Amino acid sequence: MIEFSHVFKSYGRGINALTDANFHIAPGEFVFVSGPSGAGKSTLLKLVAGLIPPTRGRVRVNGLDLVRMPARARPYLRRAVGVILQDTHLLNDRNAFENVLMPLIVTGVDRHTATARARAAIEKVGLSGKENRRPIELSGGDQQRLAIARAIVNRPAILIADEPTANLDHASATRIIEVFRDFNRVGVTMLIATHDESLIADHTHRVLHVVNGRVTSYMNVPSSGQRSAE
Amino acid sequence: MKSWLRQHQYALGITVRRLIAQPFSTLTNILVVALALTIPLVGAATLVSIQPVTAHVATGPQVTLFLTTTAPAGVASEIAQRVRQQHAEDVGAVTVIPRDEALARLRSHPGWSEAFDVLGQNPLPDAVLVELRGSDFVTRADRLVASWRSWPHVEHVQLDSEWVQRLHALMRLARMGLLLLAVGVALVVLATVFNTVRMQALTQREEITVARLLGATESFVRRPFLYLGALIGGVASFIAIGLGALVLSYLNTAASALARSYGVEFYLHLPPTSWLLTFVLGVVLLAAFSALWSVTRNTRF
Repeated sequence: MIEFSHVFKSYGRGINALTDANFHIAPGEFVFVSGPSGAGKSTLLKLVAGLIPPTRGRVRVNGLDLVRMPARARPYLRRAVGVILQDTHLLNDRNAFENVLMPLIVTGVDRHTATARARAAIEKVGLSGKENRRPIELSGGDQQRLAIARAIVNRPAILIADEPTANLDHASATRIIEVFRDFNRVGVTMLIATHDESLIADHTHRVLHVVNGRVTSYMNVPSSGQRSAE
Repeated sequence: MKSWLRQHQYALGITVRRLIAQPFSTLTNILVVALALTIPLVGAATLVSIQPVTAHVATGPQVTLFLTTTAPAGVASEIAQRVRQQHAEDVGAVTVIPRDEALARLRSHPGWSEAFDVLGQNPLPDAVLVELRGSDFVTRADRLVASWRSWPHVEHVQLDSEWVQRLHALMRLARMGLLLLAVGVALVVLATVFNTVRMQALTQREEITVARLLGATESFVRRPFLYLGALIGGVASFIAIGLGALVLSYLNTAASALARSYGVEFYLHLPPTSWLLTFVLGVVLLAAFSALWSVTRNTRF
């Protein structure tokens, strides 16, 4: 599903955000990307979403080689990858419902189907009754939920989220992670970047740990409190 | 196909919504383009209106030989015959206009009739009208005129077509001026639409970023701006036609009065509908091109 092979990413001269990253994520996996701020987590997610190209190496997502992919094909990759960035990028000139409707308009889904799917996505993230509010009128947690609803409404095969719980209290953060787990249960591949170790510690899942641009992978097993290196 | 139509419908809807959201700015931009378009449109209308009038004026080179009023009868025919014989290669039709016929022609004009009644006798001479042949008549005309002036009984020789040539030269100059003006106005339309779209693209920066993030193609991102340019061009050109019609109707009150004083019916009018539709289409395409250029340059973020 996602494959990094000797991937390097540099910004300008001498700033290596990612160094020789090698990993593979299978369809339906739930993977956390952990590490301190500035470690390279966001760069890794942007590479998966095709938002930036690698400096060197090969990135394959959903069977597509992102390095060789022509620019005109990138939008179609982005439709298969739901993206929730740290800055939610919600549009304040339209209400919550219209924000969720946006990906469906972009892909040309008919109005009737689009309306039904947008309502279902809003209900799924627990924002029913707040459809007519503008993002600025919602709490931080609700804004994150709205961003999630927008990311899932096109039924992506992969969902990536960059620090989706960064500005939330622990209870809200846990509820957001539970929403992600619900999607994962129906087969969506999840890739979530966080520096909150407490979120990672509670469940069994794979973790890609990024420090100074270098990626290591291990399995988190909460019951034993152990980390099994891969 | 339906999906493609839905995306166009969305683009058009969002364009209209954006235009309505900034009514003052929209109106100002449209008016700037419309006023710029009105100037060459009125110029073109004037040329189109004048063209039929000048088309009826003879453009072939003609020389008139006026004889002395004391010339005996029959001299005009002899001179005509001599012209035909001596300059067969240079001339076409040679016509004798007897003084009585010339007087009769002038009397048919109401203004002149009374004047001739006062004079009592015919003051007009016999005349011989000579049409020159060939495209190089300008170089030969002067030589022929000089030669004919020296003939007996010839009082005056006049190259009649000179003023017509000048008029046509003026028309050519006006057409060239209008063409240059049209190029200038096209640049104004390009610049105005380019800047309007640039401002819109900067205002919609966040929306463009989000749309790309969600998988929008570049066509999807650019389409509303393309419609924006085309709408500005279309609406402005229709306003320009309306303004042009108003200006021409105002000018007509003065122009038709002047024309009537010369015994001519003349009205300034807009060019034909097919011409106007081509004008609108041209402006729409030009504005859409400018919008596409602007959005391509200003959304590289």
